[in-house]
Amino acid sequence: MRRLLTAAAFLFLLGVRIAPAQPTSALPTFPESLKFAVIGDNGTGDSEEYDVGARLGEARNAFPFEFVVMLGDNMYGRQQADDFVAKFERPYGMLLKSGVRFFASLGNHDNPNNRSYAGFNMDGQRYYTYVKKNVRFVVLDTNQLDPRQLAWIDTTLKQSSDDWKICYFHHPIYSDGGRHGSDVQLRVALEPLFVKYGVDVVYAGHDHIYERIKPQRGITYFVNGSSGELRKGDVHPSALTAAYFDQDQVFSLVEVNGDDLYFQARSRTGRTVDAGVIHRQARVQAVAP
Amino acid sequence: MTHRSFSRVIHTVFDRFLVLPIGAVIALVWANTAPESYFVMAQQLSFAVNEIGMAFFFALMAQEIAEALMPGGALHSWRRWTLPLIAAAGGIVGAVAMYLGFVRLNYEYSLASAWPIACAIDAAATYYVLRTILPRSPAVPFALLLAIVTDVVGMIIAAPRYLVLQARVGGVALLIGALGLAAAMRAMKVRAFWPYLFICGTMSWVAFYWEGLHPAFALIPLIPFLRHEPRRTDVFADPPDDDAVHHAEHSWHVIVQPVLFLFGLVNAGVVLKSYDTGSWAMLAAQLLGRPIGVLLAVGAAVAIGWHLPTRMGWRELVVVAFATSTGFAIALFLATGVLAMGPVLEQAKIGVLGSAAGLVLALIAARVLRVGKLAH
Repeated sequence: MRRLLTAAAFLFLLGVRIAPAQPTSALPTFPESLKFAVIGDNGTGDSEEYDVGARLGEARNAFPFEFVVMLGDNMYGRQQADDFVAKFERPYGMLLKSGVRFFASLGNHDNPNNRSYAGFNMDGQRYYTYVKKNVRFVVLDTNQLDPRQLAWIDTTLKQSSDDWKICYFHHPIYSDGGRHGSDVQLRVALEPLFVKYGVDVVYAGHDHIYERIKPQRGITYFVNGSSGELRKGDVHPSALTAAYFDQDQVFSLVEVNGDDLYFQARSRTGRTVDAGVIHRQARVQAVAP
Repeated sequence: MTHRSFSRVIHTVFDRFLVLPIGAVIALVWANTAPESYFVMAQQLSFAVNEIGMAFFFALMAQEIAEALMPGGALHSWRRWTLPLIAAAGGIVGAVAMYLGFVRLNYEYSLASAWPIACAIDAAATYYVLRTILPRSPAVPFALLLAIVTDVVGMIIAAPRYLVLQARVGGVALLIGALGLAAAMRAMKVRAFWPYLFICGTMSWVAFYWEGLHPAFALIPLIPFLRHEPRRTDVFADPPDDDAVHHAEHSWHVIVQPVLFLFGLVNAGVVLKSYDTGSWAMLAAQLLGRPIGVLLAVGAAVAIGWHLPTRMGWRELVVVAFATSTGFAIALFLATGVLAMGPVLEQAKIGVLGSAAGLVLALIAARVLRVGKLAH
């Protein structure tokens, strides 16, 4: 036992991430935990998007999430005033009415001017950050990763002393999607920053699939780009793949409680297609004076 | 291969700027087989190559163009300028309208910012393909002027869009100092190029960088202070070595070769799977928008009284229109200048590389229309 504790303490000091995701069937729904939902590539205005919106509304009865993270391509096709109604306000009307806020990132189909749309809570910014309980969210615009944004990411992550750091953006840096796959150029630029500053979880969309990647350098990556669009059978599982689903639309529910992050991916029919828990990585700076 | 034929191949590769496409091919193979190591290399070298090395290339181009346009130069005649200017304007409008229209029709709003890349013609590629099809034809200087005007417009659009972390004050004063020093050196009859390029050039480079202007263009304002001799051959023809000035330019030309190779290597590597709407939009802009724009603009000018150059008819103009539809090297440069890293840039680059097909279209057009050497 003593040897085990010594080993655990050693790994903790080294900043080793010791626990990969463990399968679990349901979210615990702790009363004080942070609860949110994740959707990506959703804004089609088609019946599938409405179905997902309805499932989200139903899910909230048992799992009262307070906000929704949007992974980009929040709106496809025409993006006039009536499209914001048909492709956003109506499908998620039940959530919006009950005060649920949406925090969007920009995808390749989004008009950059949509960052000023009040419903997306981007405050006119292409990239921004916010904190909910013990979690720092860092929202990026990966359409163009300019020097200013890179410097901003560096500063924002460096200054964050929050327990959890979750980044989300549109283009996945790890993905087994057949159409797009991993964006290696973005990975070369972003991953060193994520590792350096202890990012725990990264969400992206773009590939119209659901996939959870095995932890890469201690970070768990999700692709959830099938909350409206869907590319059936597009996942080509590889050594990176921890779990995937590409047969129906998917949204995710996430709960952060202390050092644990519980996730559950559900299909358009409400079926659980992936679930698990991620234990927060230990960081060297957590024990530094 | 004998020593002489090997030397001839090397000479051809250097004189025709073929080191750049060679670097581009290596980059494409590398990026599609070992992308992680390729992008690490590209990220590490891009600033030195694109912002410092390329300054020498653009300065050399500006010097050669200035000499071709001066009295006694191959392109000196203001009468020749009007119609190529109109053709360039038509080509720019056609290419940009096609690009933005394509993007708009596909509702890919994030791609719109790449439109300046459509204002680029690979003048060297245009020159060599036209010289092959139409040797000694007025179509060659016509196309060169069209390309030069288009590229100058593209650079003017791109220069202030340089993606600098933070613009600082003081750049203008430093630039004035650089130009003043260059003027003083000229008054003192300093004849060598290198003091101008390395002393005044360094000051100008820092000035551009501080002001948030593209530093690769920093040596261009110094060109008027350098010594010039009329350049009787076209801009991209084999550099003459007939006097001290051209001898120095010859050395300069050699120095630029590794820069061009590295430029191709660092910038042309794209994962081909990244092709998407932006790639098709850029291809449509270059291969359709520009030729249509050029032909419509010249057609309108001729309809209201302008004349095509002597010994150049409509069939030759069609070949010129396709020969100027390749953006390649200059478009690649503008792409890295106006777009930050990411999928928008990747898609644009794939379209730019694909626009090399314009050269093949020019050859096909010449064959079909029975123009020049391909008439039979």
